[in-house]
Amino acid sequence: MATQSIERVVHARETTATDQMKRKFTNSGIFAILLVLTILWLTPLAWALDTALKPESETTIFPLTWLSSHFTLQAFASTLSTSDLPRWYFNSILTSVVISLVTVVLASMAAYAFSRIPFRGRGVLFWIILAGIMIPGQVLIVPLFALMQSFGFVDTYQGIILPQIASPFAVFIFKQFFDGIPRDYDEAALMDGASRLRVYWQVLIPLARPAVATVAILTFVAAWNNFIWPFIVITDTKMMTIPVGLATVQTSYGIRYAQIMASALLGGLPAVIIFLFFQRQIVEGLAGGLKE
Amino acid sequence: MSLSQQQVAQAREQAQRVPRMKGTLRWRNELVGFGFVLPFLIAYALFLLWPVLLGLRMSLYNWNLAGGGTSAFLGLGNYQELFADANFWSALWHTILFTVLSTPFLVILALALALLINRTIPAKWLFRLAFFAPFVLPVTVVVLIWQWLFTPGFGLINSTLTAIGLPTVNWLTDPHVAMISVVVVTIWWTVGVNFLLYLAGLQQIPQDMYEAAAIDGAGAWSQILRITIPLLGRITTLIVILQVIASLQVFSQIYLLTTGGPDFVTRPVIQYIYETGFSSYRVGFASAASYVLFVLILVVTAGQFTLLQRQQRRGA
Amino acid sequence: MDCEDILCRTSLEQRISRRKFLCNTALIAAGGLAAASCAAYPTSGATSTVPITYWNLFGGGDGVRMIQMQNDFVRSHPDIKLNAVTLAWGAPYYTKLAMSASGGRPPDVGISHITRMPAYAELGFLEPFDLDMLAKAGITPDNFLPEVWQRGQYKGKLYALPLDTHPFVTYYNIDICKKAGLLGPDGDLKLIQGPTALIDALKQVKQVTRNWGLANIGPWRLFSGLYGQLGGKILSPDAKELVLDNTKAEQALSFMADLILKSKVAFPSTDYAAAIALFASQKIGFLWNGEWEVTTFQAVPNFHFNMVPFPNIFGGNQTEGDSHSFILPRQTYPDPVRRAATFTFMSFMLKDSFTWAQGGHIPAYVPVATSDAYKKLKPQSNYAGAAKDVVVDPPAWFSGSGSDFETLADAVFGAVVLGQLTPAKGIQQFRARVQRMLDTPSPTSAT
Repeated sequence: MATQSIERVVHARETTATDQMKRKFTNSGIFAILLVLTILWLTPLAWALDTALKPESETTIFPLTWLSSHFTLQAFASTLSTSDLPRWYFNSILTSVVISLVTVVLASMAAYAFSRIPFRGRGVLFWIILAGIMIPGQVLIVPLFALMQSFGFVDTYQGIILPQIASPFAVFIFKQFFDGIPRDYDEAALMDGASRLRVYWQVLIPLARPAVATVAILTFVAAWNNFIWPFIVITDTKMMTIPVGLATVQTSYGIRYAQIMASALLGGLPAVIIFLFFQRQIVEGLAGGLKE
Repeated sequence: MSLSQQQVAQAREQAQRVPRMKGTLRWRNELVGFGFVLPFLIAYALFLLWPVLLGLRMSLYNWNLAGGGTSAFLGLGNYQELFADANFWSALWHTILFTVLSTPFLVILALALALLINRTIPAKWLFRLAFFAPFVLPVTVVVLIWQWLFTPGFGLINSTLTAIGLPTVNWLTDPHVAMISVVVVTIWWTVGVNFLLYLAGLQQIPQDMYEAAAIDGAGAWSQILRITIPLLGRITTLIVILQVIASLQVFSQIYLLTTGGPDFVTRPVIQYIYETGFSSYRVGFASAASYVLFVLILVVTAGQFTLLQRQQRRGA
Repeated sequence: MDCEDILCRTSLEQRISRRKFLCNTALIAAGGLAAASCAAYPTSGATSTVPITYWNLFGGGDGVRMIQMQNDFVRSHPDIKLNAVTLAWGAPYYTKLAMSASGGRPPDVGISHITRMPAYAELGFLEPFDLDMLAKAGITPDNFLPEVWQRGQYKGKLYALPLDTHPFVTYYNIDICKKAGLLGPDGDLKLIQGPTALIDALKQVKQVTRNWGLANIGPWRLFSGLYGQLGGKILSPDAKELVLDNTKAEQALSFMADLILKSKVAFPSTDYAAAIALFASQKIGFLWNGEWEVTTFQAVPNFHFNMVPFPNIFGGNQTEGDSHSFILPRQTYPDPVRRAATFTFMSFMLKDSFTWAQGGHIPAYVPVATSDAYKKLKPQSNYAGAAKDVVVDPPAWFSGSGSDFETLADAVFGAVVLGQLTPAKGIQQFRARVQRMLDTPSPTSAT
């Protein structure tokens, strides 16, 4: 038996040596493939940027070229000065921030109760809310519009915000997180005479910072990028969010590609910035959602 | 520890006593507990549950966009008309076609990318960024960029085809190609999410399993087939479920890229709902179509979840 | 949890203060961001200006002219802040307009094809024009042709103030027609009447061009004009019945198909851009289209063309057309000051519509239509007489410019003229599909 295991180890070491070389080879090959794929994936954005930096007359020449006689920021300047894009920025920021904050507060409060406070009907209520995850959002646009009509919320900020603040998924995430926090801290604070509200706000929320960050950021990005609902509930061009404004308002001057690309890039910029700063939270949040 | 052992022990004891406490403390718990849930519950009931019921009610009447027609009861009339409408079935077919075309790519390509990146190679962050970045862009931005790429004449894609001697394609105006263009854009835009999910899943697989297999003489491919893919089974099912649910509700990118054209060949169900409800003013009828789609999605989701349960029971 | 160790080392108070700090920073950051964007959005300036919102669907050449007129208005009315919005022509525009009106905060004034107005009015999306207020702004009913004014009426009140009429007309290439011997001594096209005369003329043109004599854009528009010349109607006035006269319809359709399939004098395609390109590159002698492409052709160097009304083929001067008009969406929160400014705006635009006429449209405002300047405007004023002969789409909630009705008609009649359907079959299909639309419970009748 000893000889067998020694044989195995020797055999393993031999294969390891050749394997290492093979692995280095394959890894370089894989790196090359990935590089090519990456270039392919980034080309649309790169081309958009290249177009946006060209003077308008050079965007439609043939044959195409990446280079230009003189790169200029003219397209960006025109977009910012002549379109409603700054106004749409404001609308997007306002609605996305409010949606994000309110979603976090509502969902975490509910999750806190489900996790920490024993009350009648807690289980049933939780399942009712969880069932909401199965409701496909896009399917509700027609009755939701009728509802907003009856409230007089069409073409208002509350019309955009209200349907996006109740997220059963966020409740689920928070409850999972809260369940994982030992109750010792709660109980200590309660014994010191703190109300449940204080315990929630000053003990659990700080401890749940990763969950808060993840939910806040994911909700913010989702709200920012939401197209169909703001598209339906907003018709006033001054109230539109960026995705809707860019899609709806036509320029009457014919097609100016540099300007269109500039407005597209400006429209996508905030989301990209947020992504760059909060990469870790977004990735962890998505991956964490797996652990159910 | 900042809290003394004694304090913690006391707290634990008190916590265990709570459920059995009678009187004011339990009533306080009920009130406070409910109070915490109430704000969410109100928003949830009002903007998620109520529309579901309202939609059902609306679908039984000749409700119009101006809010009128609430007394013109049609019973199942809208549904009858819906099932007899060839346009509805076409729209449904387009949605299913889109789902069937895009889902395999969005799953397999995502897995392939994750497998490729999960090796010992430098600059992983660059690749992760490149494949995931499109996902954070709003759909309008994605569509504007791709419409520019697809432009006949001086669009980048057709120009490249011409440069290498291939015939040009009318990506968005050729009825045979339009849906493919939509799928391509969707893949570019959303494969990043699935890719990240797979990456996270891959990193959870313990290395020893691979090492043991390597010692037993299994090559890379065999390792992938026998270890990686089976262990990713649950994640894959989850990704497929989420992907299918999302694809059945597709609207934005198709509406913005082709307006459902040319000649309605790419029009999905949600656009059919939008047009019958808002362009033709018939929100009652559109609600009926919404409900049918709703039930369809629920059925598909339920079916897939059952599959997931079965997988879990088998111990995947 | 991993962080348990760290947390255990800090006290509750420390956590609270750190949290407060983070909270405050986040709030300040958000506030700063919001404030920055607030500053980016230009405020409306002096509170004494009256803001009005105006929606239209004019792109391309029409868009340029409309912007010109808007600028004229803004220059001469510094006390009114005009917010003009252009949305995509057709369904996107009309859908948004309807949804906006249904939400209660629609634009102060919008453009609408006069054929789309009745459905909107019936749904309650529009307000009637106060004729006294209109008179105070300098506009009275006698400023319009009775036929045109009538089209803006719904249930006895004015709901659409006409800006123009845009008919289906004939463009012809002067040089080619001269070579084909079709011009009279005054250099203008000799009168062509009747199907045979038309086909003969086109055959002569075909000999000159070696391509085709004519391209037609819009099978529906052509059909509507021809069928109208035969005296046919499509829907009953109450829009409940299909009263299509099969014989007359078949006559019109057969003639249309004949041009392409039998006499082979017409370009065998329904592609809009291709037809424009053919005419502009002088490969064909005649073009049947709406008059709005006049600026496009005027921009082509060394291109001599002229425009005349659509010919009398079946015993009448009828031709298809529509009118752009101003409508007043119903406001949940009406503002009399804004309403007054809106009337000032509309009045100015009507009086300024000479600019609009240069783009090809026939001004609805008679003082402009009868002005010397307009009469001298060639070729636009050549077909001014067609305004009273215009046949608009049949009145129904599903019809009108840019509607599904027009799309389906174009599809079916397009198939007929290209030989994919016989005229009889085409009419059968058309009848069936229109009947289905009629059988659909109307959203406008249920209140």
